[in-house]
Amino acid sequence: MSGTITRDDFARMIAGAAASIRAQHNLLSELDCATGDGDHGSTMLRAVERLERSFAPGGPEDLKVCLREAGWSVLGVDGGASSSLLGTFFGGMADAPACNEPIGTAALAEIFEAGLKAVQKQTKAQPGDKTMMDALVPAVQALHAAADAGKSVMEALHDAAKAARAGAEATREFTARHGRAKFLGEKTRGHPDPGAVSTSLLFEGFSNGLGESKGESGNA
Amino acid sequence: MKMKKFINKPENIVPELLEGFALSHPDQIRLVGSNLVARAVPKAKGKVGVVTLGGSGHEPGLSGFVGEGMLDVSVPGEIFAAPGAPRCLEAIRLAQYGAGVLFIVLNHAGDVLSANITMDMAKREGLNVKMTLTHEDISGGSNPEDRRGLVGFLPVYKVSGAAAEEGRSLDACWEIAERMGRNMRTLAVAAQTATHPSTGQPIFELGDDEMEIGMGQHGEAGTGRMKLKTADETAEIMLQMLLDDLEAKPGEELLVIVNGAGATTMMELFILFRRVSQILKAKGIKLARGKVGEFITTQEQAGFQLMIARMDAELLRLWDAPSNSPYFVVR
Repeated sequence: MSGTITRDDFARMIAGAAASIRAQHNLLSELDCATGDGDHGSTMLRAVERLERSFAPGGPEDLKVCLREAGWSVLGVDGGASSSLLGTFFGGMADAPACNEPIGTAALAEIFEAGLKAVQKQTKAQPGDKTMMDALVPAVQALHAAADAGKSVMEALHDAAKAARAGAEATREFTARHGRAKFLGEKTRGHPDPGAVSTSLLFEGFSNGLGESKGESGNA
Repeated sequence: MKMKKFINKPENIVPELLEGFALSHPDQIRLVGSNLVARAVPKAKGKVGVVTLGGSGHEPGLSGFVGEGMLDVSVPGEIFAAPGAPRCLEAIRLAQYGAGVLFIVLNHAGDVLSANITMDMAKREGLNVKMTLTHEDISGGSNPEDRRGLVGFLPVYKVSGAAAEEGRSLDACWEIAERMGRNMRTLAVAAQTATHPSTGQPIFELGDDEMEIGMGQHGEAGTGRMKLKTADETAEIMLQMLLDDLEAKPGEELLVIVNGAGATTMMELFILFRRVSQILKAKGIKLARGKVGEFITTQEQAGFQLMIARMDAELLRLWDAPSNSPYFVVR
């Protein structure tokens, strides 16, 4: 495979993420019933639908424009904190100068880093607080590490998916300290955080989506 | 417990309730744009607009207070979920009458997040907006960031809305909202859970003979769950906690609101208010104004919120000023 990915590859990553959420949305709602409203699955379904629409064939060719639109569109899902943070994440990616260049592993890490930075501007949640950050932060770190190690984009996304999954799994043992779930305190232990799980599903989907398009297996 | 609610398809709850709300109050409100609740007759040019946001399922909160002397636009979200920034920004554009917009936000994670994103976008557009956060639930502990916004939104809407109607500046309206906010305290108690209308699941578990002060929380206030008590005992416990937190002194004037959570009857709310009033009298604290009713509910949850607020002459005057919203009329 070539060393860089295109806007259309990005669209395949998004399609992979959507497929991954569609396959598991019932699980997300069940997890959310334990510590929240039980609406996380349906919120994520609406979010990935809008992501896909922003990257639909015939849409803008410019990745920056697609990401900006995707972010704004996900903010409009009206699904409480989840869609606000997710929309901020995709919208924030558009701020990375690397969007305008051929996207190799380092550029991809930079784009995801810009998304993470935008999210961190809106929430004080840190890894360990039992939120989506427990999956997102290690995933972005894995992209950077892969870039430093000279790995391909495909390998980097594979590593990121693995890191996100491990991060989401670890939330099972944490106590919520942010969002509405923090008021449940110790009662949140034993349940993985739905936001961290959905974030890890997105990353697995990115990896699978690109893997399929490149004829490689992206399964974690 | 199986959910028994008169609804149609769960996904249609919010649009259908808004449609019915607008149809039942055509002289006061209307739906505009992407299901924003706005005044039937927009405010005159040159005055500050007042905007709020919040999840649905808490009717008549928050859109029930759109109207003359109170809010200009309310942004209703999905059931118990904050609306996103795009619709909030739409509301703020709509409420620009030339003197800026006061954006009143109740402290809940999703609402604050949407509001902060909205503020960033509004600044980028060069819109004149000031945000005020209500956080008066003392069960959150001593850190203001951990205190949620409960029924205290009502006096904040009322006094800042009245100031806006009088033609005061955005800075002045914001200062009045902040002053009201600093001087109010609320505690909630739950006696019976509610079901989430979309999922049919109970939103929390509570024993048949229990109640929980600081509902849904984790005993931060040192009270938490206890056996159900009488109205007088419950009012005594909660009022004392509020008075201590506010450091209320004899001779001061208080506004008291008893807000039903949905399943607690007006009968009970009046019995509670009676005891609150007696205790204040015994302590030499003046009950300047009182209000009993359902202003913000959580479905068929049993319980109530008790709010006290220290009032000064200006706040009292603005509280008494005329308003004409579907669920708060002062003539």
